[in-house]
Amino acid sequence: MNVIEIKNLTKTYGKSRGINDISFNVEEGEIFGFIGPNGAGKSTTIRTMLSLIYPTSGSVSIFGKDGIKYSEEIKKEIGYLPSEVFYYDNMKVIDLLKYSASFYKKDCKKRIYELAEAMNLDLNKKIDDLSFGNKKKVGIVQGLLHEPKLIILDEPTSGLDPLMQQKFFELLKEENKKGTTILFSSHILSEVQKMCDRVAIIKEGSLIKLEKISTLKENNHKSFKIETKDKVDMNYFKLDGISNLEVKENMVSFLFRGNVNLVMKKLATLELSNIWIEEPDLEEIFMHYYEKGE
Amino acid sequence: MNIFFHELKAYRKSTIIWSISLVVIALFMFSMFPSISKDADNFKKILEAYPPVARKALGLSIDSITSLLGFYSSLVLLYVVLCGAIQAMNIGTSIISKEVREKTADFLLTKPVKRQKIMTSKLLAAVTSLMITNIIYIAGASLIAQLVKNKAFDYKIFFLLSLTLFLVQIMFMFLGIVVSVSVSKIKSVIPISISTVFGFFFIDMISSAIGDNATRYITPFKYYDGAYIIKNSAYEIKYLLIEIIFIVASILVSYIIYSKKDIHAV
Repeated sequence: MNVIEIKNLTKTYGKSRGINDISFNVEEGEIFGFIGPNGAGKSTTIRTMLSLIYPTSGSVSIFGKDGIKYSEEIKKEIGYLPSEVFYYDNMKVIDLLKYSASFYKKDCKKRIYELAEAMNLDLNKKIDDLSFGNKKKVGIVQGLLHEPKLIILDEPTSGLDPLMQQKFFELLKEENKKGTTILFSSHILSEVQKMCDRVAIIKEGSLIKLEKISTLKENNHKSFKIETKDKVDMNYFKLDGISNLEVKENMVSFLFRGNVNLVMKKLATLELSNIWIEEPDLEEIFMHYYEKGE
Repeated sequence: MNIFFHELKAYRKSTIIWSISLVVIALFMFSMFPSISKDADNFKKILEAYPPVARKALGLSIDSITSLLGFYSSLVLLYVVLCGAIQAMNIGTSIISKEVREKTADFLLTKPVKRQKIMTSKLLAAVTSLMITNIIYIAGASLIAQLVKNKAFDYKIFFLLSLTLFLVQIMFMFLGIVVSVSVSKIKSVIPISISTVFGFFFIDMISSAIGDNATRYITPFKYYDGAYIIKNSAYEIKYLLIEIIFIVASILVSYIIYSKKDIHAV
């Protein structure tokens, strides 16, 4: 079952920002990554899903229901953590969380204390006095306290120290095991790589790639780096499947996609002093899509 | 109801401060009344020395100023209503814009609640705050009036005069709400409310000075004429109707705009 179905979603503003004809589905129980640099349209897409802003055309459906028409009903089962969290300043953490819980018709008390303990959050402090990272924790607890079926995270880890990030990811994975679907937007690829099953890459308002993380990493590219005894001509590497070629003195690096035997044969004719063949991390793949706009 | 109580709590401090301030203004103005009423004849002579235009601009009429109700409507209420209007416009402009300014809109609008319901709760909380202000003010002003009176006065008229505070406040509150839903982001509320309120106040003064009646429709300060209320012990129905129409229109406009508005990340 698809928890999120986005069809031809377009949102234009007067100026340049916006998204253009975006379509994708998120299945129940998956952790879906949504990546792109700042300003690519991630937040716009997410805000449209939450009907904070309304689409110019296209539609969003969540839990099989129209996102605008049934927005109130849908939001009962959504937990949202915005990239920047600011809450009513002159409130205590616990008061804010209780206020947040009062919107859901269930008892969330136990969950609040559980989450606060897991995130090491002091409930009796004033939100005013909290550091950015601690405010973020309030946001996390606030987003999870009603045990939503869908969690939407917009760049959630900025401001959290690595230890807390770890805790937070564990928390999310735990929720995910219970069947919760997670949409995870980020420009930090390593965390997407760690967490997600599938990933959508967005560039300048358009979706340019939708792929399983495993496929993206496995069958696509290998990263080659070689050091040669003599200088090599750049044209020597003119071969189908080679991209991001860089030649610096005796160092050559490139990404290769396709039959590795072809490359190995080519390399065998060279006098090498060193060679590295690696699985590229998502970052390199990502740059690849970004530069070439495949 | 949770939003209503949350909002009411948020306005609590400012409501109390404004209420007390209004009572203090009334106390300050009324404190001059005993000496004026004692020396009524002398005071009338002083006033006659003023140029007529200045007298009119200040809303002073020589005959009525020495009676408690006349003094109340032309001097005390003038400043009380002016300040009350600023309070009301502040609240009206704040209720929606503060969510954007304090970046709490994302919190509120991703909760399972319709925007119309958010608007209703906030609106009711704002009206309730103004009602509390008026109850405190009228109680305080009544007490002060009893203390300074030289002879008995008609309390019904006193009450009707006092209630013009609420009537004018409601108009400025709705004006503020319409402004706050129409503008995408308001950096600071006070400059907007003060400039608007004083704008209307000066229109009121100028039109009083030149005796122009057309401006009565424009500025809320002119809707409820003290002299008319004292004479007829009632409001002018025409202006009550205009106010009701203005309120209904404001509610419609703000609900429609707010429920369709894009809430942008900040």
